[in-house]
Formats: sequence, structure tokens, C-alpha cells
Amino acid sequence: MLLEVRDLHVEFRTRDGVAKAVNGVDYGVDAGETLAVLGESGSGKSVTAQAVMGILDMPPGRITGGEILFQGRDLLRLKEEERRKVRGAEMAMIFQDALSSLNPVLTVGDQLGEMFVVHRGMSRKDARAKAVELMDRVRIPAAKERVRQYPHQFSGGMRQRIMIAMALALEPALIIADEPTTALDVTVQAQVMELLAELRREYRMGLILITHDLGVVADVADKIAVMYAGRIVESAPVHDIYKAPAHPYTRGLLDSIPRLDQKGRQLYAIKGLPPNLMDIPPGCAFHPRCPLAQDVCRTDVPPLYEVTDSDADRGSACHFWRECLHG
Amino acid sequence: MASAPATASAEPILEVSGLYKHYPLTQGILFKKQVGSVKAVDGVDFTLRRGETLGIVGESGCGKSTVAKMLVNLERPTAGSIKYKGEDITKLSGRALKAVRRNIQMVFQDPYTSLNPRMTVGDIIGEPYDIHPEVAPKGDRRRRVRELLDVVGLNPEYINRYPHQFSGGQRQRIGIARGLALRPEVIVADEPVSALDVSVQAQVINLMDRLQNEFDLSYVFIAHDLSIVRHISDRVGVMYLGRIVEIGKDAEIYDHPTHPYTQALLSAVPVPDPEAREHRERIILAGDVPSPTNIPSGCRFRTRCWKAQERCAQEVPALVVPPHLRGRGGPEAHDSACHFAEAGSVMRSAPGQVVPTEAES
Repeated sequence: MLLEVRDLHVEFRTRDGVAKAVNGVDYGVDAGETLAVLGESGSGKSVTAQAVMGILDMPPGRITGGEILFQGRDLLRLKEEERRKVRGAEMAMIFQDALSSLNPVLTVGDQLGEMFVVHRGMSRKDARAKAVELMDRVRIPAAKERVRQYPHQFSGGMRQRIMIAMALALEPALIIADEPTTALDVTVQAQVMELLAELRREYRMGLILITHDLGVVADVADKIAVMYAGRIVESAPVHDIYKAPAHPYTRGLLDSIPRLDQKGRQLYAIKGLPPNLMDIPPGCAFHPRCPLAQDVCRTDVPPLYEVTDSDADRGSACHFWRECLHG
Repeated sequence: MASAPATASAEPILEVSGLYKHYPLTQGILFKKQVGSVKAVDGVDFTLRRGETLGIVGESGCGKSTVAKMLVNLERPTAGSIKYKGEDITKLSGRALKAVRRNIQMVFQDPYTSLNPRMTVGDIIGEPYDIHPEVAPKGDRRRRVRELLDVVGLNPEYINRYPHQFSGGQRQRIGIARGLALRPEVIVADEPVSALDVSVQAQVINLMDRLQNEFDLSYVFIAHDLSIVRHISDRVGVMYLGRIVEIGKDAEIYDHPTHPYTQALLSAVPVPDPEAREHRERIILAGDVPSPTNIPSGCRFRTRCWKAQERCAQEVPALVVPPHLRGRGGPEAHDSACHFAEAGSVMRSAPGQVVPTEAES
């Protein structure tokens, strides 16, 4: 396994109390594989990724437990110096908002080239040539001329390509993409996702795709981890989860999205609101919103049960996963 | 969503024709001279009938939000007319304008910035009554606001709370309640659910649907999410670079699109079904949308269109039923602004699971 997160816990100390953002997350990605982490805002999907990358703001954030094994090493035990060498060179991240992730007063060539100057000790001139090569690779037209331009001179889709180029620069083994296409229009989104998938195949990288978009996930993921209130509530290969979800939250999500190819009469709406992370409900965090909830759900936290009724390797953190899977 | 009676026969409540909004671009500090213009809206026509939902889709920068602003008179058009029950509201001012505005209300995209953080929910929803006191006499306002809170599914006891005490979905309900306060006939909703989480989106859409039936509302529903627009709309218009390029009933647009842009747009939408991955054809458009300051001659989509020919650079295609499709009738025969419009099947997934109907919470 390229990356393995084990029983990760992260909390944030705020004036109003402790927010438990991540409460025991396990997931893993192999080389050449795409893992989609699906969840709504506040589910802990981005915080987990930031912990993996080592870019969590600490304080107020604090990792209170768990391991992050990357190529066998526990990243949480590394010194910041060593960690910095991993970051960028061996794993890289693509952010949602390309405009605010790029430096507005440096040309894109300088920003791309900086990777090679810092990590590879190249001269400015060689680094510039490398930058042009990268821009070509992510199919930015007229790369030779555009390498001298500033981020604001690029369109949203082109900026996201530059972010991808930057992430690819040192040919990392793992890329984490946090909502990479959420800010883009659908036609541009299709271009960017296509590019990302192609490059992943070419370099055999592991990809963690963080998103709330069930459509994008169905298009590109190999396996899915669904997060709710800082925990993984369901994990499964992509085909199985869409065919028959084994957790009522996943089922609710799938039923609540309007579909292009169907015109339903009324959308299913998951009742209530996502929980407050300072006051997560006891037992199963989803029970106040769950149509299947019983007494046991209010008291006992469900472990990630192995879904034994399926050939695939899948898990569900629901006491009644069987009812959900077959119901 | 389709309300029971066919809306085709209903009377038009809004008629928009030849609508333009050009923003001037100037140069110079003291002596400003106009060097060009941003053609945000560049000739838009449509009709909204009573009780109907007209969806307008398009990508960012296509002018859909500018159209919304002109409908509620937050922007004055450069040219063209917007007729509300036969009266051109772009020519009105003063008292007459105020009276019309009461009947056309707006729901905004971002429930975090469109509510004043220093006002209580009661003041926010009741504020329209300060401007139009004839709707509710002073003593009656609190009661009305409580009623409205109840109608949009919020606890009437929350009347003294502030916006930050609510979640995104609840805030959007507050925005909707404010829109309803004056009992308007038309609601213009600009991306009302795009800032919300998936599970909350469905709640708000179901609410808008229920309110439409309850209050006999007509919606102009603007969004970039094509699935949501299909779900809620009776008719759909597709905008590109300031113009509607195709318009028709929802099934005509979604199942039988004839304009290449609509076809590309639909093919790009990810379908939440991994089985569809292998057998779908995706039309990936080359390049970016041209700048609205410098719109291509002839057909504005031609620079990205795989069908473009000589004629497309010369002649602006009109938004009419294309002549070669007219005779055949059927769902392909709807307005499409393309010289070479033809039915193109957009590959979709096999019929998926049935969406269960359940009472809204």
C-alpha cells in the first residue's frame, strides 16, 4: 500500500470548545489507484488530507492519535525537515481555488520553476525550460509565451492546469486533489478531470480525490470512502456503492441528487442538518437523521463492519447494514 | 417541476424581448472615452407563463445573472423590453415601478452574504413591509413574519435570532421567506442552491416546489447545475455568451438537444452511475469561452464548434425552429440558434434506480 491512514484523530481547540474534526479515520491508496473521499462540508475530508500532507494549522489543530504510513514510514514521526522533503517531491496537493493558491506577483514560470530550484538545485534557466515542458504536458497552448504571464492572465481552467503542472513537477507518487473542479464550469471540469486521469495512468500515481460531487466520483474513482462527522461510514469499490449502498447516509445522498437522465417527482431529502462537531451525537453520529435508527444506534458507536454479503472488499459503519444493503 | 396542468396555454406573465446589457469600457482618467463594451447580455428573448418554471442554464460569464438582475430592475437594460402583464417595466419609474417590483422578487445565491448579519430574522423578513406598507399594516407584521417562517419550515420562535445562528440551508429558507413576504407572482432565483450541501439542496428544492403550488408562483430559475434545472423546470433556455442558443420544454432540451453547445454541455455533466463510464461519449470542447468584449462574428459559438463552416462566420443564426427540422415535428422541432442544428444523441446511463418519494422533513 502506497499510503495508509490508520485510526487518525484530529481536533481543533476553539474559544467555544473542542471541535472533533476527525475521529478515527482509516483509508489506503495503492499506486495507480484513485480513492474518492466523499463528504459534505464539515465531514473531515479536507482535514484528513491536510494531516496527510502535513499542512494542518497547528494550533488550533492537533493530531491526537493515529498513524499515517507513506511507503512504510510513519509521517507523523518525521521531523519537519524530513517532512518537507516528502511534501512536493513525493506527495503533492491540488487545491480547489487556483487563483488564491498561486502567487499573484510572480509569473507562472517562476512559480513552476521554483519547484526545481528548491528541490533539485537547478539553475533558473534550466528551471524555466522545465516549466515550459510542464505547461506543454498539461496542454496549455503557447506555453513558451505564456510562461512569462501572471496568474490573472489565465482563465480558471488554465489556472487549474497550472496547479496540476505544479503538483506533477517532481513526479510524486501520490497526489491529493481537494475539490479540484468545484470552482469550474462543467465543460472545463470535464477537460480537467480527463487530464488528471490521463496523467495518473501515465505516471502510475496514487490519487486521492476529495469531493462532494457524486457525479465526478462515479466517473473517475476506483474506490470510495464516505465520511460523516469525522468518520468513514462506508467504504467500497465504486461500482458496488452505487448499485447498493450499505449505509443509510450514502443511500440518502444518492437519492437526494436530481439526475439528468431522470425526472423524479420529488427528491428524497435527508432530514435535519449535519452535526455540530463540538457536540457530536452519542452512538452513531447519523442516528438523528437516519430512517433506520433503533435504540442501539443512540447508545453504541457502530464499528466499520465488514460487509460479508458482498464479494467485494467493503465496510459499513451501520448496525443495520444488512437491512440497508437489501432494503 | 411540471405542475399538473399544461402551462403552454397559460397567459404570459413576463415577456422579454431584444434584451441587451452592455457595460462600457473606458480609458483615460480625466477625459474618459469609451473604447469598447462588455456585452454581458446581447439579445435575449423569452416568455414566462403563469405557474411555470423557466430554467436558465449556462456557464459562468454567460450573462444569466445579469438577466436576473434586469428582471427585478436592479440593472437597467441598454435596450429591449421586459413586459410584466403587458406593461414594459423598463420604462417605468417612481410609484408605478414600485408597484411592479412588489410582484417580482428575487432569491439570491449566497445565503451567507445576502442577509444582514446585524438584523434579526424577523427584521429581515419584515423589511419588505417597510417599503410596501400597504401589504401589511404595522401591527400585523410580526404575525405575518411568524407565518412566513412556518411556511418555509422554520420554527416561528426563531424570529428574534440572527442569521449566524442558522445553517446554510436554513438561511436560504430565510431568503425565500423574505422573497415571499410581499406575495409576489414571480420569483427570480439566481443559483439558489449552489452554495448548499447535497443533502440540504434537496430540502430547499422540495420547498420551492411546494411553495410554487401553494402560492401559484412563476419561477425563473437560474443555475449552472443542469441536473437541478431539469428537475425543477418546465422549460429550459441554454445561454452562451449573452444569448439564448436553445430553448424548449425540458425533455426537448435534455433528451433531444439540437444545438452543438447544448450537446457538449450535457455530455460533460458527470452522471452518478459508474456503469455509464464505459459507454458514454463525451464531447470535450476545445479552448475557453471568448471574451464578451470581443464576440465572434456570425454564430458566437463557432470558435469552439466542431461543425462550424464558412456560413457560421457570416450569418448570425436566429433563435427559431430550424427550417429543416420544422416539417418533421416531434421533440427536435424547437427553437435552436444553429445553422446546422440536428438531433444528436447524448449518451446516458441505462435507466437507474427509481427515486423514492418521501414527505419532506
